[in-house]
Amino acid sequence: MDLLDRYLHAVKFWLPKAQRQDIVSELSEDIRSQIEDKESELGRALTEAEIEATLVRIGRPVLVASRYLPQRHLIGPALFPIYVFVLKIVTACYLVPWILVGIGLLLYSPGYRAAHGGGWFRALGTIWGGFWMTALVAAGAVTAVFAALERGASKPEFLENWNPRRLPPVRDPNRIPRGTSILELAVNIVFASWWILFMSTPTVLNRPDIQITLAPGWIYFFWGYLILAAANIATAGANLLQPNWTRTTAGLRLVTNLCGSALFCVLCQSDILLTISLAVDGATNGQKIADAINMWASRALPFAAGVGLLVLAVDLRRLIRVKAA
Amino acid sequence: MHIPVLTTNKARHIVCVIHYMTHVTDTSSAYENLRLELRRGCLALAVLAALRAEQYGYSLRKILADRGMAIDENTLYPLLRRLETQGLLVSEWREKDKRNKRFYRLSHDGKLVLKQLLADWQGINASLSAVL
Repeated sequence: MDLLDRYLHAVKFWLPKAQRQDIVSELSEDIRSQIEDKESELGRALTEAEIEATLVRIGRPVLVASRYLPQRHLIGPALFPIYVFVLKIVTACYLVPWILVGIGLLLYSPGYRAAHGGGWFRALGTIWGGFWMTALVAAGAVTAVFAALERGASKPEFLENWNPRRLPPVRDPNRIPRGTSILELAVNIVFASWWILFMSTPTVLNRPDIQITLAPGWIYFFWGYLILAAANIATAGANLLQPNWTRTTAGLRLVTNLCGSALFCVLCQSDILLTISLAVDGATNGQKIADAINMWASRALPFAAGVGLLVLAVDLRRLIRVKAA
Repeated sequence: MHIPVLTTNKARHIVCVIHYMTHVTDTSSAYENLRLELRRGCLALAVLAALRAEQYGYSLRKILADRGMAIDENTLYPLLRRLETQGLLVSEWREKDKRNKRFYRLSHDGKLVLKQLLADWQGINASLSAVL
């Protein structure tokens, strides 16, 4: 019975001290009775392999012991969906921006690369390690708060006291709130007016102390953005009258945003700032500033493209949803 | 050298067989879960009813198994402890056949609860029969 004693000892290890002896005595009695029954049935003593098979059937010691323990969880089923929701928010609003900023600094800041190991791969390794540490701390903090809530009270007050009247209204994703359309209309009208008044010529600023002149190609961007603003005004007006996304309005929004993003990406790359003339510093410094701005605009291209793709993904999702409705 | 060719029909047949096997596995798993859920509630009732007469753990298992309600040791003993903690059972250690065994029987509260549960069970049985 050495095998049985070892098995019972292993079960005992996982049991709470106060009940250990009691549970093991009862389990031992049951298993010995099973063995005796089998032995009288076979008319011989059980072999070690047969005893082993009985113990394997009963189960691994830790599992057997777990059946006697109260059900425990770090975060219970009532709080778990809220816990997952908070983790998703932390990921979207904290961890994703964190890694994007890290990658941006890695790509565009030699000083940052120098401060984090010198080379590309070393800096990338530092960022990657830092990201996982940040993620671990963030997830750990959220888990600790929820575990404390779980332990603090049998049921948190906000789960007990609630009012159905305070639940948010059911939102039709294809419905466009009138407030949004009015705001969009106003913003686009103000933008178009300002655009026509101040940006129609390449010399966008002409004061005694400073003159800013844009490249001759500016005219294409001027008309491009003016047409897009007009299209946005038309879409917002149509949405105001018919406050539901239709295939036409959703398609038009997709096309205008696609054109707007593409135009912005071209603008970033086109060295649009020709000259900045400063009365105090002379032409040299002004040119340096213009070159620096053009260089940073060019470097901003990946971010502009990223934001554009994000906007287009939202537009495309809306169009698919409208088509499916 | 002959290389076996996988025709479209053969490929379709394989896909169908895989799909069927996956479906059968899912159904078996769902059935097993539902069967366990169905049994779980009935087991407590069966144990309480069987303990109208005093029994020790192993003899109780044998009685239940003989009547078609086999229950393994990992389910029975935790259940007995739970029922005892709830005051529905009383137990005592006694020697029998030269070995110490723990004997269980229904407490006064246990008898009352069993009576109520049996009435509920009959009600559920009648309702279910009507639905079926």
